Amino acid sequence: MGRVSRLSRVATEARAAYKSFVRRRVAVFFTFFFPILLIVIFAGLVRTGGGGTGLFSQPPGYYVPAYLAVVVLFTPLSRVGSEVARFREGNRFEKLAASPMTRGEWLVAQTLVNAALIALACIVLLVLLSATGADFRFSPWLVLFVPTGSVLFCGIGAILGALADSQDGAITASNGIALPLLFLSNTFLSPASLPAWFRPVTDLSPLSYFAYGVRAATYPGNHAGWPGSAAADYAVLLVLTVVAFVLGAYLIPWTER
Amino acid sequence: MAPVVVADDVGEKYGDTVALDGVSLAVESGEVFALIGPNGAGKTTLTRCLTGTRTPDSGRVELLGEPPSKAAKERLGLLPQDFDPPDRLTARELVAYYAGLYDDARDPGDLLRTVGMDPDKSTWYGDMSGGEQRRTCVAASLANDPDVLFVDEPTTGIDPAGRRALWDVFEALADGGTTVFLTTHYMAEAERLADRVGLLADGELVATGSPEALVAAYGGEQYVVVETLADPAALDGLGYDVTREGDALHVLGVEPADIGDVAAALDERGIDFDALSWTEPDLEDVYLRLADDPTLVEADEEEVVA
Repeated sequence: MGRVSRLSRVATEARAAYKSFVRRRVAVFFTFFFPILLIVIFAGLVRTGGGGTGLFSQPPGYYVPAYLAVVVLFTPLSRVGSEVARFREGNRFEKLAASPMTRGEWLVAQTLVNAALIALACIVLLVLLSATGADFRFSPWLVLFVPTGSVLFCGIGAILGALADSQDGAITASNGIALPLLFLSNTFLSPASLPAWFRPVTDLSPLSYFAYGVRAATYPGNHAGWPGSAAADYAVLLVLTVVAFVLGAYLIPWTER
Repeated sequence: MAPVVVADDVGEKYGDTVALDGVSLAVESGEVFALIGPNGAGKTTLTRCLTGTRTPDSGRVELLGEPPSKAAKERLGLLPQDFDPPDRLTARELVAYYAGLYDDARDPGDLLRTVGMDPDKSTWYGDMSGGEQRRTCVAASLANDPDVLFVDEPTTGIDPAGRRALWDVFEALADGGTTVFLTTHYMAEAERLADRVGLLADGELVATGSPEALVAAYGGEQYVVVETLADPAALDGLGYDVTREGDALHVLGVEPADIGDVAAALDERGIDFDALSWTEPDLEDVYLRLADDPTLVEADEEEVVA
């Protein structure tokens, strides 16, 4: 099985997945409307930076990782989760399992499409945020954190899709996981706003390392978490990403048993 | 020549439900084997065991001389039951997608023309008619020009003309040496296409053999159908067994040459009837008889030789 064949299969799957996505106008609209809506509401209408420890108490630049996390978390989690369920329900995995394609190649292809869409949505988000006058840096670390975060949540999405028994179940499960993850991962809420006994729990969330790292890179001087630098946060994120992706690929219901 | 598809005493359970119970069969290279049986008989489960989608609880399965998981996927084609491919692709894009999974694939346009589809049509799969969808799926299953093709109910939902067009495709494949493992509910399809037919009932392969041999062994007698409300006893003494089936009497065992005798007897006895026809048994009769009562087949007679 040659490398060219593998690449060719991944490209074939990615091309089909991309076409299937862009031809769903509602999905395209909300994928890119979502970040715009976020910025309009949170950076435009809601006044951030009032001080204290509650929601929106920090300066606008503090929330860059939070805005990015919304896109990096929700889009792959629900899209890959529901795509796994859709492929299983339509016996598409059964068909693919009878071809030379492997489950790992399939997930790589789906992840590539998702990572590209998320990167585009994040660029839109950052440009809009910048236009509101928020004070943050366009750090090169973003080029690593955003795609890696996308891959991480594609892997977790695949796990959810494999465990859920239907498309509806996959979407419900992804929303049920994404919402608490979003608010308990040092994104919109600063650690100081949580009880001291609960703060270590937030370090169990993979999204925390995305938030810590992106904040360290884009909003210097405000790194609040462990391990303490963008590089270290990225290393943790990378390990979690590899674990989630391998587990996600392994669990894809390629065969019935 | 070694068989290309082998199931040896294959057993499979879903919880407490027995899906397959000691199924054994062998399909030779270039053969068209049709698997028939009632809903829930285990046809799709057996197909999945043979293609490697499912690992049976017991028994041995071989595909192209290997366990299915190790079989050369480049030589295998599959159209799963209830297959629902991406619906926002055109027929050409869809076939190209599946062709793109193989190093050596057929031209999507040629494949679509083979199944009677216009390759340049821009309609998305989700907007096609049921028949067009099924034909596109058949084309996709042929993308790699497979040596062994599994098709699970390939003509379900297709109108009679479309069904016959696909039969022509499968016949051409078989003529070209492709081994075809067909699962179907259409007895006419099995009768026309299959070299051998296997009847699966309650997870057991009740009988296998050529359609002709199965009909001869288990199809029952040829009979005359008399559409009448008369009592069967009205034909006593005619020399044939007579049964009532709905609004008709079935006069069993009548040779074509003796139909006139039956008609004459009806006339002589003043029996009013609306129509009279002669019927010979076919695969559907075999199916109905054996699916209803598999014990009609003796244990040592499972394989019926033509």
